[in-house]
Amino acid sequence: MKKIILSTISLALLMTFSAYGQGKLKSSKSHIKFYSHTVAEDIEANNYSSVSTIDTESGEVVFSVPMQGFEFEKSTMQKHFNQENFLDTKNHPKGKLVGRITNVDEIDFSKDGVYQANVEGKLSIKGESRSISEKGSITVKNGNIGVESKFNVTLADYGISFVKGKPSTNVAGEVEVTVIADYLAE
Amino acid sequence: MKKKKIIKLVLGVAIIGTLIGGGSAAYMFYRPHRDVQAAKTDYSLTNSEIVKEYLKDRQAADSKYLAADGDSKILEVTGTVNKISENYNDQKVILLKEDGDHAGVSATFTAETNHKVSYLEVGQMVTVKGVIRSGAAFDEDLGFYENVILEKSDLVAQK
Repeated sequence: MKKIILSTISLALLMTFSAYGQGKLKSSKSHIKFYSHTVAEDIEANNYSSVSTIDTESGEVVFSVPMQGFEFEKSTMQKHFNQENFLDTKNHPKGKLVGRITNVDEIDFSKDGVYQANVEGKLSIKGESRSISEKGSITVKNGNIGVESKFNVTLADYGISFVKGKPSTNVAGEVEVTVIADYLAE
Repeated sequence: MKKKKIIKLVLGVAIIGTLIGGGSAAYMFYRPHRDVQAAKTDYSLTNSEIVKEYLKDRQAADSKYLAADGDSKILEVTGTVNKISENYNDQKVILLKEDGDHAGVSATFTAETNHKVSYLEVGQMVTVKGVIRSGAAFDEDLGFYENVILEKSDLVAQK
């Protein structure tokens, strides 16, 4: 079974790693940020509570994101984000990425270096699943393993769109997502 | 005379209307986030109890504990400290989990409450107050049980 991980590159992370580096790695230390830019307003939200795994042999990657964990500077914006007509987080409390690093054979998790990871899989938001194909980078240093990626998400693909009102002018149709995560051997 | 009075009235209403409109817009714009620690606790229970509740019926638990606008229920959870760590926002995170339970309750502290965690040791029993972000469940893709997640936490007197 192979799962996929995603997206383009952004930051680097490092983690400590007790075992040789094979098998399933788990991350409880991550930072997922999304950024929306429009002429009217720039919006940013941060989430530090996601959980993730990488299987260094199969290349399988999973991210589980608690949607209510996204913090916005403005309280009103955070409330709108959670509401039924936007992310409907009460009914869809988790965002998910399930994928596979297709070039996992090119990555040596036991050798220091920065490796490009090509990820294919499914991103699920608000009950909608979409195939994604993105790039990320995996940094191995002193037994630490870190992942970073940056990619875009088109909100309409997940049933999130605005025709009128403030959200239509203040929220971008495409949102930039940045992921960084540190992994430990299970 | 009448005309003047009418004009004054209309002007007065217009001014009041603008103040109210501007005031509510400003309120919306600058409204502060809910102060979790100052707010009333919705439920007091143990880590084992809430995990059990979630594993029994996830939808019912989400319905009970999560709010549509994200200002979900404020919980006071008692349990044994299983792990102490730190997240990418320099916030302390403690896991309250009992041996034998499938999952625990993970509580993230804040810049203001972080220092309370430095007095804690694994094995200690504590009560944490925070807002729930998501519940416990077995995740097939991850291959393990996810913990209940609390944020904006602080230690409170044990219940």
